[in-house]
Amino acid sequence: MKMSIALFGALREADASGTMELDVPAGSTMAELRELLVAHLAVQAPQVSAGLVRRCAFATDEEILHNHREVPAGVALAVLPPVSGG
Amino acid sequence: MDALHVAVVERRVAALDVAAALDFVADPRFGGIASFIGRVRDHNVGRVVTGISYDLFVPLALNQFRAIAERALAEVGAPLKLWIAHAKGDLAIGDVAAVVAAGTPHRDEAFRACRLAIEAVKRESPIWKQEHYVDGDSAWSEGCSLCGDDRQFTHAHSHAAHGHDR
Repeated sequence: MKMSIALFGALREADASGTMELDVPAGSTMAELRELLVAHLAVQAPQVSAGLVRRCAFATDEEILHNHREVPAGVALAVLPPVSGG
Repeated sequence: MDALHVAVVERRVAALDVAAALDFVADPRFGGIASFIGRVRDHNVGRVVTGISYDLFVPLALNQFRAIAERALAEVGAPLKLWIAHAKGDLAIGDVAAVVAAGTPHRDEAFRACRLAIEAVKRESPIWKQEHYVDGDSAWSEGCSLCGDDRQFTHAHSHAAHGHDR
């Protein structure tokens, strides 16, 4: 299934549009989605370090989706680099 | 929660309003108000900073602010009014980046609620800081990873290495 993923912080440099699409097998976990994103960015945006992507979390508008969670169908996701507010 | 105000304010639209925050948390029952005001400073880790751009995932940030407020209420176990606001966009030196204000019956509760809230905003909320330097270079701050399953609530890891000590 095609997932829309909004980009924030340093990951905005991966795509100027601010979002990217990733094809993810149904039933994948968030940890598997992260590895798919690492592989995708290695080709599409090699300037983004794999180490940074592996420290990223994923979320919906409402909650952070931890590694063991299944990728939700039909929901826009966001990829969250390490945070630095305040 | 007696009253809660959470906000993300686009800098082009308005500056964060500290006086409004203090008014909001005032109450005849409350003898203590504590506040934290985070401002953009002109240096970080030995480099001269000329400004900061803040990127936020707004719907999740507001959700997180509300969840943080619930934790603050549980932590202080007293009547509480709380204001949590963060700026978004391009800020200059001296601009206010974050305001937390807590009103409670006594000062200890106010200090604790305020501290809990600002620390959680910094470490757990989807906010990213890009520093701009006098030499024209820019860099995103390294920050705290949110991908540990329990980390957002336990904070067992050290923050000393991150350099985000405002």
